[in-house]
Amino acid sequence: MTMVQGGGGAGGPSSQSLADVVDTILDKGLVIDAYVRLSLVGIELVTIDARVVVASVDTYLRFAEAANRLEISETQPKGLPDMVQDMTSGVAEGKTKGAIEAAGEKVLDFLGGAQDEREKQRRGHSGGGKDR
Amino acid sequence: MSEQESAPGGGGPVVYVYGLVPADVEVKEDATGIGSPPRPLKTVTHDDVAALVSEIDPDAPLGSSDDLRTHAAVLDATATVAPVLPLRFGAVLTDTDAVVSELLEPYRDEFHEALEQLEGMVQFVVKGKYVEDAILREVLSDEPEAGRLRDAIRDKPEDATRDERLALGELISRALTGKREQDTRRIVEAVEPVAAAVSAREPTDDEGAGSVAVLISADRAEELDEAVAPLIDDWQGRVDVTVTGPLAAYDFVKTRAPGT
Repeated sequence: MTMVQGGGGAGGPSSQSLADVVDTILDKGLVIDAYVRLSLVGIELVTIDARVVVASVDTYLRFAEAANRLEISETQPKGLPDMVQDMTSGVAEGKTKGAIEAAGEKVLDFLGGAQDEREKQRRGHSGGGKDR
Repeated sequence: MSEQESAPGGGGPVVYVYGLVPADVEVKEDATGIGSPPRPLKTVTHDDVAALVSEIDPDAPLGSSDDLRTHAAVLDATATVAPVLPLRFGAVLTDTDAVVSELLEPYRDEFHEALEQLEGMVQFVVKGKYVEDAILREVLSDEPEAGRLRDAIRDKPEDATRDERLALGELISRALTGKREQDTRRIVEAVEPVAAAVSAREPTDDEGAGSVAVLISADRAEELDEAVAPLIDDWQGRVDVTVTGPLAAYDFVKTRAPGT
């Protein structure tokens, strides 16, 4: 026999960032729709797929600006590796936060779409699989 | 705020399902699940399989950061003591009878077999993140064209150099895609010797150097750190490597194909 404790308690084994949690639990794991049809409850999900779209115009412009800024810092003595790490972890936190805020803002737009998507998926099952 | 079980108009509470576990798993009395206020975590058992569940209010939208963290924490904490098949976030059924009749009963054999395979296993995720300045320098020295474009935009207003900026950004992005593939492969090669299974994830972040899920015997977990150590040394100042876990085996459970 094994005892399981909840998630609310003394903290899980991992201190993952929310972005990591999102990548994992919205993208991986068993999909309930493949098993259960009748008793599914279509509850509103206020969560969006927070994944960054790789290779968008915004990304290109951001990279270009970063390269532009790099020019300036190159003339200065190169920082210690851990200083560089500090800087990037700052950037990372900022980005994560951005994604979460965006998640909050896009809630309403998303709800309608998500519900439709689920409906379609459920009906789609009888007429042959579709993977999305 | 009322603690009443039934919400007006919306009917009674519904059942949120976290994942599937062997039937001999017991939940601590004070363990709670998602929602506000959180309700007790329970198991619903059929034969030798069980679902890890808690009741939630059907009218309350799901997906706050607390909900997401709790879902993950319940499953990850479980994975350290028992095999668990994690469900993707958001699985809600009408009641516990439905959990038995529509989930546990029809798929008992499938779940039982998968749980047996996961016995003693946990998942870790090894993730690399590029150190921006370092990786940009690398790209600029690899690609002469990138240096030329960078000179073209230097000290010029953004509007006047939009085309060059887009070209430069695209070039950097493409270069990173190539590096990401190589670096993901390096992570895979580093962890393979100690892993029971390995699964590279799709990139979700334009500064990601690779993200690899590793299924490993729980008692060999320290060996993963040893396997990753040379990579961390090698990549010092170029890629920040993090190892997260133990987690439930999200990347190694397979959803049955629809209609089978």
